Amino acid sequence: MRFHILVIALFCCGSAESRKVRGISSSYKRFYREKKSFLCIDGSKLIPFEQVNDDYCDCADGSDEPGTSACPRGRFYCTNLGFRPHYIPSSRVNDGICDCCDASDEYNSHVRCQNTCWNLGQRERAFVEGQMRTLDEGLRLKQQLIEEGVLLWREKQAQLRELQQVAEDLQIKLEEHRRKKHEADRFKEQTLRALKGEDSAVKPENTLLNRNKDESIAPDEVKAEVVPVHGEERRLSDDEAGIKDAHGAPGTMSSEDPHLKAADRVAEWEATNLKKVEEAYETVNMEISDLQKKLDIDYGTDWEFLFLNGQCYKLTVYEYLYTLCPFSHITQKSTAGTEVSLGVWGMWAEPAKNRYNQMIYENGEPCWQGGSRSTTVTLTCGTETALRSVKEPSKCQYIMDFQTPVACQPVLKQRGVHSEL
Amino acid sequence: MAPVLVLWLAVCLGATWAVDRGNFKTCDQSAFCKRQRALKPGESPYRALLETMELTNTRLTLQLINDNNKVRLLLELYRLQGNITRVKINELKPLKPRYEVPDVLIRDPPTEPLSVLSQDENGVVLSLGAESQRVIVSVRPFRLDIMEGHDVLMSLNSRGLLAFEHLRMRKDTQADPEAENKEEADAANQAETTKEEEEKAEEGMWEETFKSHSDSKPNGPSSISLDFSLPGVEHVYGIPEHADDLKLKTTDNGDPYRLYNLDVFQYELYNPMALYGAVPVMLAHNAQRTTGIFWLNAAETWVDISSNTAGKTVFGKMLDYVQGSSEIPQTDVRWISESGIIDVFIMLGPTAKHVFSQYASLTGTQSFPPLASLGYHQCRWNYNDQEDVRSVDAGFDEYDIPYDFIWLDIEHTDGKRYFTWDPHKFATPKEMLQGLVEKRRKMVAIVDPHIKVDSNYKIHNEIRSRGFYIKNKDGGDYEGWCWPGNAGYPDFTRADMRAWWASMFAYDQYEGSMENLYTWNDMNEPSVFNGPEVTMHKDAVHGAWEHRDVHNLYGLYVQMATADGLVQRSGGVERPFVLTRAFFAGSQRYGAVWTGDNAAEWDHLKISIPMCLSLGLVGISFCGADVGGFFKSPSPELLVRWYQTGAYQPFFRAHAHLDTPRREPWLFGPENTALIREAVRQRYTFLPYWYQQFYHAYRTGEPVMRPLWVEYPQDPATFAVDDEFLIGQNLLVHPVTEEGSRGVTAYLPGKEEVWFDIHTFQKHNGAQNLYIPVTMSSIPVFQRGGSIIPRKMRVRRSSSCMEHDPYTLFVALNARGLAEGELYIDDGHTFNYEKKEFIYRRLSFSNHVLSSVNLVPDSHFTTNSWIERIVIIGSSKPAKVTLKTADGNESQLEFDFDASMSVVTVRKPGMNAGADWTVTLQ
Repeated sequence: MRFHILVIALFCCGSAESRKVRGISSSYKRFYREKKSFLCIDGSKLIPFEQVNDDYCDCADGSDEPGTSACPRGRFYCTNLGFRPHYIPSSRVNDGICDCCDASDEYNSHVRCQNTCWNLGQRERAFVEGQMRTLDEGLRLKQQLIEEGVLLWREKQAQLRELQQVAEDLQIKLEEHRRKKHEADRFKEQTLRALKGEDSAVKPENTLLNRNKDESIAPDEVKAEVVPVHGEERRLSDDEAGIKDAHGAPGTMSSEDPHLKAADRVAEWEATNLKKVEEAYETVNMEISDLQKKLDIDYGTDWEFLFLNGQCYKLTVYEYLYTLCPFSHITQKSTAGTEVSLGVWGMWAEPAKNRYNQMIYENGEPCWQGGSRSTTVTLTCGTETALRSVKEPSKCQYIMDFQTPVACQPVLKQRGVHSEL
Repeated sequence: MAPVLVLWLAVCLGATWAVDRGNFKTCDQSAFCKRQRALKPGESPYRALLETMELTNTRLTLQLINDNNKVRLLLELYRLQGNITRVKINELKPLKPRYEVPDVLIRDPPTEPLSVLSQDENGVVLSLGAESQRVIVSVRPFRLDIMEGHDVLMSLNSRGLLAFEHLRMRKDTQADPEAENKEEADAANQAETTKEEEEKAEEGMWEETFKSHSDSKPNGPSSISLDFSLPGVEHVYGIPEHADDLKLKTTDNGDPYRLYNLDVFQYELYNPMALYGAVPVMLAHNAQRTTGIFWLNAAETWVDISSNTAGKTVFGKMLDYVQGSSEIPQTDVRWISESGIIDVFIMLGPTAKHVFSQYASLTGTQSFPPLASLGYHQCRWNYNDQEDVRSVDAGFDEYDIPYDFIWLDIEHTDGKRYFTWDPHKFATPKEMLQGLVEKRRKMVAIVDPHIKVDSNYKIHNEIRSRGFYIKNKDGGDYEGWCWPGNAGYPDFTRADMRAWWASMFAYDQYEGSMENLYTWNDMNEPSVFNGPEVTMHKDAVHGAWEHRDVHNLYGLYVQMATADGLVQRSGGVERPFVLTRAFFAGSQRYGAVWTGDNAAEWDHLKISIPMCLSLGLVGISFCGADVGGFFKSPSPELLVRWYQTGAYQPFFRAHAHLDTPRREPWLFGPENTALIREAVRQRYTFLPYWYQQFYHAYRTGEPVMRPLWVEYPQDPATFAVDDEFLIGQNLLVHPVTEEGSRGVTAYLPGKEEVWFDIHTFQKHNGAQNLYIPVTMSSIPVFQRGGSIIPRKMRVRRSSSCMEHDPYTLFVALNARGLAEGELYIDDGHTFNYEKKEFIYRRLSFSNHVLSSVNLVPDSHFTTNSWIERIVIIGSSKPAKVTLKTADGNESQLEFDFDASMSVVTVRKPGMNAGADWTVTLQ
């Protein structure tokens, strides 16, 4: 603060008209009004004004040499009329390379720089206009996709609820079947015990077989049930079975007993049924958990990225075909035909300013020197959704540029061409 | 096939990070080394036959006879200009010629007269010029002693280890009638043959196998050996390349140091195993004298070192000293080579600088590199495509880090066919190179010597049709596996092959090449993936010679031919830049070398210092290690420390293995980026000094990066220092090479010296161990009081951008208020300096006057550069400072005085850097 006051004080006393000081912006002109002395902008030193831009660095902050390369920490202002003004490091003044499009940085070097600001400005404006159009179109498409996303989200939610209902139903069914199987097993056990034991007083109580609701089990009924199980040749007459029961070993005897056979068959039947229901239940639960997993993924504030799940995008780079299936996985297929995983969906990269800017896919195919392949996908704004580029800057670490309208951000619109025009 | 592959994978993946020692021979596994090493010191069977002595003005010849087998040898002794004695020993009548190494000596060394001082039946005394130096040739047993006054400087065969395996007929071919006729025709020969038959044929003489490789050895045993005793010497150096300390160790309890150019995968540190290059030159030093031994032999070589004081503790040595009973310390060295002849140059110093100049007079000096090649090099295996190159280049501008060269490794080619570009990834190389031209930067692309066997590849077809490939023992083209798969190896020992190779670098031959594209020769040991010890079969054939004879020379020839190509493409105008991995004595003439495939480990950072110091001692100044380490991935701390160290080593290139994550300087957060930027910027401010040092090395053969003992030869405290080093005489560098370091202890040499911290200008006295606290930004570097160092403080994007920038002179005063330095300027890239198109000035400060005087009055060059600042360190405050220019004009200069550090900074004197002037402090 102190030096500002001092500077102002100096200004008051000076009367000379400011001459053009090279390398400064108009907002800094006030520091460079021609006086007897110049105070380094950081206030560190007072020097004669002739020493401003005299190609010797006097101020530690480089402020006395805005137009030369003398100061290591200095900067040179390219006015760049017709384009964007900007600062370059002092070390790029008169280094034989054209940096400012108005050629102002090479005022004393062997190169002849053309003033290209107008062309650059034109190009930049055209580019920015193009970008704006892309952005407008992108945002329009994004809105659609958001709407679709919301619908899709609801649809998925409905689907989830439906599945959950099915699961509940199945749960009930499952319990019923478990009970039935349990009974069948018990019946089978009782039959077996009855056959084995001398005391046949305990008559197996087969509720399952007694479909005709009488107390006895009709051999025919059993037989009919048995046929599909054992096939024609294995069919035995009741007598034969009885004889065998009487004379055979207890094990053989029991397995050939018609009651037992029936009980066995019933138990088997119930087990199969139970298994079917269990499988159905499991499938539904898996579907639910898949769907839940899908729905747990962060699809953006408006579920705008949801539509990408389930899609795949391909791009051929040199000898490889890359496939990006967002929120799922990435593969690389060589022309020779071998396919390699470049990672499965991991997460959104956290630290970025824009939370939905980069996706990380990890744990792909292991690498030669340890570790596994991984891919970072950067999302950029565009009017269509497509994979734009794939690179492998380090071995097994891939980067992809993925364009999609949903990556369009309204904030971009605020940026434009800052020009002194 | 599959299980083999799996096994191979398992072995590779399961291996620890270390060399597979089993792939490389120990002395015991190398038949000739084992045979030779079995001979113990004792009385030599050789006797000098004085009656055969012939002395011309410049040469003495004398026959030696081995009393055991009666085989005669011919000894030749020359006195060479510059205090060098050459001793050559060959068979008097070898069965066929033995290989004598061509193309390493820059000319037939000029001789000086020899004369006989005295002679009797026990020997001859020869005078070695005026310095009371004599050679005593003793007859029985034969030995040579080189004396100065009463001191023995060096003795040859004093331990009786001269052993010369003469060429002989194979026993099972003796029935060959032709051979019989020959024997009958030569009675003497027959007598010898009879003797020979008494010798036992040992295993490995006529055939040798290592792992699955068989060496057919059609010429049988042919090895040679000689011992050298160095009385009064406890320190020997040199014989690179080994990943070991600067001071060579004794080898009694292990293998000898091995010299055999090999592609060693993941080499281990601190052992005598062979590496990529070989320079058979050893320096011996004590407080009184430095001498050197140059063993000119390109075959596999082993060097044994023993010492009578090696086992003694410091206390033991002190006890000897106190009791006065000490025997004179002595180091004994023994050289063993597989074939060729004994051709040894004894460089008698007496100082290290004399030895450098003696060695340079034999093999030439460091080529004077283009200035840009002393800047920073950014390399990686690989920059993937043109877009990658463009974005890395842009990264350096974005993060404001200077660099001069970006490098392309093998993946830039079309299927590892050198001289070609990948049609997709590098479709428009000239566009890419033009992009670099616009930034005033350059590129290096790799060209390896193995050539893909592919009938659609022009280079292969031409080499094959011209018969330029090395042949296998059966006469067909030798083929081996390398990066492209099956590959042929051009015979670079042929001058016509080299001329053809050089012509391939012409802009119309090497498509896509431009003026700012330079070359890197890798794998030129040569590396043969499926060969014995990952190199070529020794029985492969180069015309009249076996690969066995020429092996260590191959890499030198590859770089020679490539450098010639780069010179020729510009019509002889532009200096070449070629980096090589394999090298031999003389390689300094062709470019730079690096220490090969190191690893991102702290010990590898440390070893880069002794490895480059050892190379510097034997003439190869342009040395560097891969910054960051090639294998593995460095921690940010290691990477920063490596940049800080590399910034003060001659060849400054970052490189990384294909499998490692990217490590461009800005990828480790803003703090580390800033630290790396600062290290690289320091390098660029010192470029005028580096350039001047290389000019000096080119002129004198003195190393740029040198051990302390070279400048402080009488201070034993410096003799084994290899964690710090000097650049020229005036900068002392002690890089931080320990993880988590909070301080280093640097030895500041010289009782009379003062040293100034280059960052703070704080003054320190010499001859002390100085503890320096360090932070991550510290690079302990000191400027010697008494020196003047010109720097360019305006660091720009590349060295070319700084061409016309003004100089700041850093004048560091010694205790007597004196300082001296030089300023060398030329165009930085052509050979015009040979026509004296340069500015070469002496800067000196005495009696408070700094003056600039032309050192070469008939030189002619003009520069736009001027003197922008003079910083006088260690000065009192002057009342005024006056500039006087050549035309007599006087003007008063402004200055600042920093009383805390006694530094006068003279503001903008403004005179042209090429002018005469004086600046007076009153």
